[in-house]
Amino acid sequence: MLISRVWLKELLADAAGFDLGSIDDDGLTRALTGLGLEVEAVRATGAGLSEVVIADVAGIRPHPEADKLRIVDVSDGNQNVAVVCGAANVPAPGGKVLWARPGAVLPDGTQIGHRLVRGVSSPGMLCSETELDIGPDGDGIVVLPGDAPAGRRLVDFVPAVMDTIIELSITPNRPDALGHVGVARDLAVKLNRAWRPSNRELPECPEDPGLVELRAPDRCGRYLGVAFVDARIGPSPLALRLRLHRLGLRPLSNVVDVTNLVMMQWGQPLHAFDRARLRGGKVVVRTARPGEPIVLLDGRTLALAPDDLVIADSESPMALAGVMGGEHSGVAADTTTLLLEAAWFEPAGIRRSARARGCATDSSHRFERGVDHGDGLTQACASACALLQEVAGAKPVAHCYPIGSRPAPRIIDLRPARTKLLLGMEVPQPEAKRILVGVGVLVDDADAARWRCTAPSHRPDLEREVDLIDEIVRHHGLDRLPMQAAVPHAPSRADRRTRARADAVRGLADALREAGLHEHVAFAFTRPEAVAAVVDDTPNERTIVLANPMRGEASVLRTHLLGGLLEAVAVNLARHGRAIELFEIGRVYRWPEHTSGGGPKRVADCCAPAWTGKTSAWVAPKDDSFADGPDPEPIEERTRAAVVRASGSADNTHLDARSVAADLLGALLRLGYRARTRATRRPVPWLHPGAQAEIVRDDGTVLGRYGLVHPEVLEAFALAGDHRVAYGELWLEHISERRSSSFVALPRFPATSRDASFDIVLTVPSSRILEIVDHAARLGQEGDDPPRVVRGDRGDGAIEIIDDYRGEEVAAGRRALTLRLHYRAQARSVTDAEVQAVHLSIITRVCDELRSLDPDVRTR
Amino acid sequence: MVRTAVFSSACGAPAPAPIVRVVSDSIDLDGLLTRFRGELAGTEDEAGLYQLQVAYLGKKGQVTALSKSLGSLAPEDRKAAGERINAVKRACEEEIAARAAELRSRARQRELARIEDVSAVRPRALGTFHPITQTRRALEQVFGELGFDIEDGPHVEFARFNFDDLNIGPDHPARDMADTFFVQPAAGSGRMVDELVLRTHTSPVQIRTMRARKPPIRIVALGTVFRRDDDATHSPMFHQIEGLCVDEGVSMADLRATLYRFVGAFFGRELEVRFRPSFFPFVEPGAEFDMQCPFCGGSGCSTCKSSGWIELGGSGMVHPAVFEACGIDPERYTGWAFGFGIDRMAMLMHQIHDLRLMFDGDIRFAEQFPC
Ligand SMILES: [Zn+2]
Repeated sequence: MLISRVWLKELLADAAGFDLGSIDDDGLTRALTGLGLEVEAVRATGAGLSEVVIADVAGIRPHPEADKLRIVDVSDGNQNVAVVCGAANVPAPGGKVLWARPGAVLPDGTQIGHRLVRGVSSPGMLCSETELDIGPDGDGIVVLPGDAPAGRRLVDFVPAVMDTIIELSITPNRPDALGHVGVARDLAVKLNRAWRPSNRELPECPEDPGLVELRAPDRCGRYLGVAFVDARIGPSPLALRLRLHRLGLRPLSNVVDVTNLVMMQWGQPLHAFDRARLRGGKVVVRTARPGEPIVLLDGRTLALAPDDLVIADSESPMALAGVMGGEHSGVAADTTTLLLEAAWFEPAGIRRSARARGCATDSSHRFERGVDHGDGLTQACASACALLQEVAGAKPVAHCYPIGSRPAPRIIDLRPARTKLLLGMEVPQPEAKRILVGVGVLVDDADAARWRCTAPSHRPDLEREVDLIDEIVRHHGLDRLPMQAAVPHAPSRADRRTRARADAVRGLADALREAGLHEHVAFAFTRPEAVAAVVDDTPNERTIVLANPMRGEASVLRTHLLGGLLEAVAVNLARHGRAIELFEIGRVYRWPEHTSGGGPKRVADCCAPAWTGKTSAWVAPKDDSFADGPDPEPIEERTRAAVVRASGSADNTHLDARSVAADLLGALLRLGYRARTRATRRPVPWLHPGAQAEIVRDDGTVLGRYGLVHPEVLEAFALAGDHRVAYGELWLEHISERRSSSFVALPRFPATSRDASFDIVLTVPSSRILEIVDHAARLGQEGDDPPRVVRGDRGDGAIEIIDDYRGEEVAAGRRALTLRLHYRAQARSVTDAEVQAVHLSIITRVCDELRSLDPDVRTR
Repeated sequence: MVRTAVFSSACGAPAPAPIVRVVSDSIDLDGLLTRFRGELAGTEDEAGLYQLQVAYLGKKGQVTALSKSLGSLAPEDRKAAGERINAVKRACEEEIAARAAELRSRARQRELARIEDVSAVRPRALGTFHPITQTRRALEQVFGELGFDIEDGPHVEFARFNFDDLNIGPDHPARDMADTFFVQPAAGSGRMVDELVLRTHTSPVQIRTMRARKPPIRIVALGTVFRRDDDATHSPMFHQIEGLCVDEGVSMADLRATLYRFVGAFFGRELEVRFRPSFFPFVEPGAEFDMQCPFCGGSGCSTCKSSGWIELGGSGMVHPAVFEACGIDPERYTGWAFGFGIDRMAMLMHQIHDLRLMFDGDIRFAEQFPC
């Protein structure tokens, strides 16, 4: 919303007896900002135009060197000069033009001086509207009416040329501030001035009940229709054109300009129909018939729906009410009869129409926020009638003012004590009353503890007590609020599980970061192909699809973190050649398993009433009890921690997927989880079939998986298929809090180690061999405190893989896997001989077990 | 591992010389000592010293052999011979110890003469947290200290919690303010397309919290939010923090005081907080809040565009309609809420000008923010 300081000054002088000249632009900006009318930009206009004067055309001569140029003799009353001009519309001698004298500075920065134009010196130039930025017309020079006084400076002839244009961002609760009057009224209260409401009368002319037929009274609360004759369509006077131009509206013709000007003044959109084109000479306010066609001003043809409100003639719609006029509804050059519409339409209906039809206009913007259905509407209509007479010579001949269902005046009780409690500050009661009265509220303070207030029709946002308190503090000044904390800190009431989960995530992140990984934050939405490339146990129908994605490709919510990390790998590979080590902890999304979509039933059901209309009135819970437990999540959101490691160069054959598993196992250890890895029971197709495994908790719960990313998945993310990328992820639903450990006595006697080497096929995973060895080691040994294999990862000496040989000494497809076992007794030192005996018995058992997996297994 | 010669007593020395004759001849004992000293002077390290010790003093060493041969002497000669042998043995031990000390000292000098240039170092590779995470953690810390609980909620939210219960009805113009992503209902679910949304703010966490528990409530909710917006300063996904305090007698002055304390604790200096009236459907009165620029202290700099102030976010007193939607009696309780962007705060603190850099995962970007 653009505001003209000049206009504001006029309004404040008229209605509040205040001279805005006493406040500079900075002060005005501060005052507006302090009122919640946010100033987005301030622009001074016309500063360099003081040397632009009205000049008389005395004669026109051809230019000796150029056919398209002419030499125009002009006079400003003091001096006669010859100016070179290229415009085709130079008026005949006696006509009035605008001459920019040497010394003028045009809005685009051009310095005007003596200039040689094709060999002829020209002192200054004759200007067009666009050159002076006083209008949209750049086709020819400005031609003023013959009575314009030669020699007058433009800034004296039309003072509004020198103006400050303020761009305000108006919040949707303030439709009254979408016109200059509303802004001026607010300022007057802020400046401690009484506001005198305007009381212009509607024109005196006979009533014609047939002029407006209101068939949809629930959608149109008030309709002022005035019929005019003898209108002469033409351009508006310069001052009017300038004002619209300054406010960002394009001046068109005098009648349309008047409706726009009144809209910018009162915030009330108007429409002028050419009455001669209305069949029946009248308008009908009704809802549309299903499929009824209309061609709008912007040329679009719409098929209307019964929810659309239209202004029709006796046959068909002429305008989409409150949104946009029809193609043939408006005035044309030959129009002489008018029907002026000033109306109040039900806001929600206009909003639905504008949204459904995809037309947001200045008009719909105001109607859907709620224009004034009371005095403001009357004043806007009266202003327009007066202006139509003034600039277009139109004579009002008939009127019709039907009334539909208007919002009733809102009576609100205001308790001064409540004001104090809510603000934490006392606003003196006379001050509070002055403010309320100033913004238009009727205040009955007969009961000092409970003021009976009636909200004005131009402030539809004033609905409850808090809204009045807001008005009071807005004008009194939020900067007066003391800084006092009245409430002592309450002890924490947070759900223990919520805190534990947050703590676990923090611990994981700390550990992954300390492993040298950089945290990545990827978008939660992605391309459908990115989800499809990583088919997991999430079937496609459980993917969350956005109904209105921004860009077609990012239209689904991610079901895994791999895609985002691979995209980051690609970004890094394209930009530099360094190793890429990233992690992300984030959510993945899908429909819950038990529904085909749409979320749990409980909240979904109680959601329904919200869509039928207003929120229901508050009903106190019977026993002041609260819902048992938190509301469910609409869909399934799971948190994942994922790691990706890739080298930045082509030489990456050394990259081992176990590196990411080590990152993740280390992170789990940070949380007290002693997890291990094992060959995947159910391999996933998006990891390399020969290089993937899973991470399991000691109770066998799978916590995540890792491996080399499948070459085809890499290719789906625009990476070379032979570029190795190691990826691993943890599923945090099984890691909800830190685990504490209990103490185990430290070993007091040294351990002795023995190695064992197995020649075995590659298809038996090393994790399986370790499991078998671990199992065999657990079986009992003879004797009192025999040597036992040290197990697990606590303390020194787990069962280790010390060599994994593949080469000439073993057959193809086989490996020599060497394990080291550590033996120790609890309460004594062990001898070599007894360790050897126990070791042999364990290895024999292991071989027996392994034979079922590989008949050719042997020890080396 | 270097074994210390002086205290070792392992076996494996060469065979000893004939004994009887040697003991009976005192000159040979002197010769032995002379030989020993010659060999001792030739030792250069601990291993040589150890060998020498074994050769003379070991179980089968030359001196030891002499001691053992005492038995073959006449009893009257034994004592004198024993004393002489012991004297030789002590002399050998002392001289070996002295030589060992000398060798250690020389080795120490050699070690200290060595030049190992350690002046150029690269730090151990330590990863980084995303600037958003860093800012988020700092915020959690400060608000934790101010007595707030940390909460979060789902990203895909019921439109009811994201809008309706926050006093943003289906036809409310404020729904324009948040350009919303809607979720396409799964086929056959019979649900409306505007029933589920990607939450456009963290405010639905207010609703969930107030529906789940009674006042007093003091929470902050930090998390991811979504809006249909994409340019250098707007991303379709960003992060917000939301604060909520509900109790009896909570006032707007309390809100201002809390924001003032937060800003002071977060930036570690006294900074003014100011309100500008504004409108958010779920608060009334509503206000935007600014803080004095932490970079120039309010005197004006490039970050605050010479204004001395930085816009932070929105705030206000919880609208009674919101309390009603959550089943909280708006007559008994009052409350306030505030919210602002975490990404914006991170960009402000690190002078990052393009929000899009935050989400493409370039490690060279990450490395700029080690903490
Ligand atoms: Zn600054």
